[in-house]
Amino acid sequence: MSVIEIGRILQASTTEFIVGCRIDQLTAPGFGDLVRAPIEKDFAVYGLIYDIRIEEDGLVRQMATINPIEAAIIADNQVNRIVPIEMRVIVVGYKYKGQIKHQLPSRPALSLDSINLCSNEELIEFTTVGEFDYFRHLLRNNVLQGKDAPVGELISTHLKKAQDAHDEIGWYEKASKVIISMLRDDYISLMIILEALSNAFPNEENEHE
Amino acid sequence: MSENQTQSEKPHIGYVISGGLKDGFHIRLEVDPDKVQEGAFVVTESINDEWLFYGLVVDLQLGAIDPRYADASIKNRLSKPIAEQLNSETLYTNLQVMPALMLEKGPKPGTPEYDKWRAPFIAGLKDEPRPLPVKTVPPHHSKVRMAEAGDIAEIFGDTNKKSNFVIGYTREQGHPVALDMEKFVQRSSGVFGATGTGKSFLTRLVLAGLIQYNKASVMIFDMHNEYGFDDTASDTGLKVIGLKSKFPSRVRVVGLGGGAMIRNNVPDFNLEIASSDITPEDIELLSRELNLKETTATTLDALATTFGRDKWYAAFKEMKIGSVIETEDGKKVPAPDSVAFWANKHGVNVMAAEGLHSKLRRVFGLDYIVEKPAADSLREIIKALKAGQHIVLSFARHESDLDYLLVSNLLTRRIKQVWEDMANDFRSSGDGEPRPLVIVVEEAHKLLNREMASQTSFSTIARELRKYYVTLLIIDQRPSQIYDEVMSQLGTRVSGWLGDDDDIRAVLSGLSGREALRGMLARLQPKEEVMLMGWGVPMPLPVRSRRYDDKFWEELLGKKSDKKSALDNIKELGF
Repeated sequence: MSVIEIGRILQASTTEFIVGCRIDQLTAPGFGDLVRAPIEKDFAVYGLIYDIRIEEDGLVRQMATINPIEAAIIADNQVNRIVPIEMRVIVVGYKYKGQIKHQLPSRPALSLDSINLCSNEELIEFTTVGEFDYFRHLLRNNVLQGKDAPVGELISTHLKKAQDAHDEIGWYEKASKVIISMLRDDYISLMIILEALSNAFPNEENEHE
Repeated sequence: MSENQTQSEKPHIGYVISGGLKDGFHIRLEVDPDKVQEGAFVVTESINDEWLFYGLVVDLQLGAIDPRYADASIKNRLSKPIAEQLNSETLYTNLQVMPALMLEKGPKPGTPEYDKWRAPFIAGLKDEPRPLPVKTVPPHHSKVRMAEAGDIAEIFGDTNKKSNFVIGYTREQGHPVALDMEKFVQRSSGVFGATGTGKSFLTRLVLAGLIQYNKASVMIFDMHNEYGFDDTASDTGLKVIGLKSKFPSRVRVVGLGGGAMIRNNVPDFNLEIASSDITPEDIELLSRELNLKETTATTLDALATTFGRDKWYAAFKEMKIGSVIETEDGKKVPAPDSVAFWANKHGVNVMAAEGLHSKLRRVFGLDYIVEKPAADSLREIIKALKAGQHIVLSFARHESDLDYLLVSNLLTRRIKQVWEDMANDFRSSGDGEPRPLVIVVEEAHKLLNREMASQTSFSTIARELRKYYVTLLIIDQRPSQIYDEVMSQLGTRVSGWLGDDDDIRAVLSGLSGREALRGMLARLQPKEEVMLMGWGVPMPLPVRSRRYDDKFWEELLGKKSDKKSALDNIKELGF
C-alpha cells in the first residue's frame, strides 16, 4: 500500500469527493491517477482524479494587477496559500476485507481523512479485477456528464497509466472493447472517447519502431 | 437418427436474433460474410435442444448499429486496432434463412433422459422422429451451423441406399445429395434449364440413375438421337457416353423407319408404323402442325365410318385429287378413285375432303408408315417395357416436329392403354402388379402446351396416370409454354439456370416459398448448379450437379454387386 499522502478530504459523497492539498504535495498526483481514501479499518474507497483546481483566494486576486511582483512574493503566495488546491475525484470502487469491488461503497470517507496515491501494484490490482465494470461510473452514472468533465481524456490518461503499469502489449484493447460495447448506441460520446484513446495509443507498430 | 453431438462441438456461424415463420429466421452472422452464400443449407439448433431446423439461406444483409459507423472515414481519426474493434462491434451481417423442415432432437445419447425419450419408439408406441414441415420457431440466440454430411443424409436419404441416387453435392462443403428414386417415379417430374445450361447432361444423369435403379421401365423419346449411343459434346468435343454402351442388355435402342442408322450405329430394331395403327385422333393432334381446318373432324369421322378405323388411312392415301373421267356425254366427272367421288358419295364437303387430303400429303410421305411393317415393332416395344427393359426411341433423320408429335403420341396412346388394362386387372384380381413406367419426353412444350393439352395422351398421363403406374419425365427449356395444370402436378423438379421470369414462375408453380427460390434460380451457375424442388424432394436445395463422365459411370456401376446370379442375368435379358 502506498504511503504517499497527497491531501485531505474536504467534501465527500457516495459518488465523489474533493481533496485539498498543499502545493508541495502536488508533485505526486495528477489528472487520471487512481487514489485511495480510508473509510474504516479494512475498508477503503478508490477514485480517479478528474479535475485539479487552483481557485483564486482573495489575496491573489488583488495581487494579480501589481506590476512588478517580486519573485519572492509570488513564491510565497504559491506555497503559502490560504485556500488549498482542490482535486476532484470520482469514486470507482472500494476494497473491503482485502477484496476489490467496482461498486459504490456504502458510505463515504470523512473530512480531513488523508488520501493516498495508489502504487503501480494497486493500479494493476484494481484494473485486473472483473471486466472494467468500473467504467460505468465514468460513462453511465451521469455524474461526470453532469459536470461536463472530459471523460474521454480521463479514460485515456488513466488507461495509459494502467497500460504502462501492466507493461503488456495491447492490454488497453481489452478496455477499449468494453467501452465500445457500453457506448455503441451513443455515437457522439463514443467517438469522443475513442479519438482520445487513439491519441493516447497511436498505432502500436509505430511505437515499437 | 442423427448424431446427437453437443452444440459446442460443431462450429457455428451465427445465432437467431429475430424473424418468424412467414419471413424466415434472421440470423446474426458471426463469421465473415464471404464464408456463407445464398442457398447454403444451414441447421438451427434450438437452444433448449428440442428441435433442429433445416433451412436455406435466402438473403444476406449488411447492417450497422448506427449508419454513421458504416462510413469508412471514421477510421482515419482512430488508431488501427481501435478502428477494427469498432467495426467488429458495430457492423454486422444478417442472414435470412427460409426454414423448410424440423426434426425432434432428443437428449444426448448415453444419458438417462435419452433412454427415457427413446423408450416409446422402441416399444412401438410412437413413430421414429422424422423431418416435419416447420410449425414453430427456435428461441432467440439459438445457434446456427452449416449442414454436415449427416444432416444431408438425414433429410435426403442415405446415399448408400440403393433407391437413393446422388444427383449432386452441396455447394459449400461438397456433401453428396441424393434423389429418392422411389419417390421420383411415383409422380411425373421435370428437368428444366435454359438452352446450353447442361440440360441434356442432367437428363443423362437422371436416366442413368433410373436405369440403374431398375424398379421402373423407361421409355425415352429421343428426338435428337442423343441418349442411346455415344455422342460428342458440342462445346468441349469430348465423347459423351450413351446409355446403351453402359447398359447393353437392359437398354434397347429403336430407330424410327426401316433401315435407320443412329449415329452410324445399328439400332436393336427398327420401328415402322402400320397404316392400320393410325387413328383419326392421331391426325387431329396434328391440326396445328398441318394447319388443318375445323372440318377435319367431320371428314375423318366419315372416313372412319366408311372404311373402318384400321383401314381408313390406307384407303384415303390411295385416293387421288382431281382425277376425272369422261362420261359418255363428254362431261367430266370425278373418277371413282378420287377424293371428290368419295366425298360426294358420303355427303362430305368436297373442298373439305380435298383440303384435308392435300394437307395430309406430308404424313402420307413419311417413310416409316407402311402397309405391312417388317415386324410388329410396336408390340415388341411394349413387350420389352413390360419385361423390365428400357427403350430409347431415336428418331434418326426424322427430326421434324411432325414426326415427333405423331410418333410419340401414337406410341404413348398405345402404351397407356396397355398399362391401364394391366392396372385394372391387377386391381380386380390382386396379382400381376404392373411395373412402373416412366415416359421421357423432350421438348415437352411441343406436346404439352395449352392448345394440345386436351388432345394428347401426355397431359392425361401427367394428371392422372400415376394410378396406372405411368408417369412422365419432361425435359424442357421453356416451361412457361407448358400447360400450367401439368406443371403444378410435377413432383420432382430439377432445374438449371433459367433467364426468363415466366419460365422461373412456371417451374415454381404449385410450390411454397416461391419468392426466395425465384432469386436463387436466376443466380444458379449455368452448367454447374441446379435446384432440386418439389414434392419428391424433402426441401428445395441448390446443388453442384454431378459431372457426367467416366468417373460417374464407375461410381454408379461399381455399386452393382459383382456377384450376379445366373437368374439375375437371364432376368435382365428380358426373359
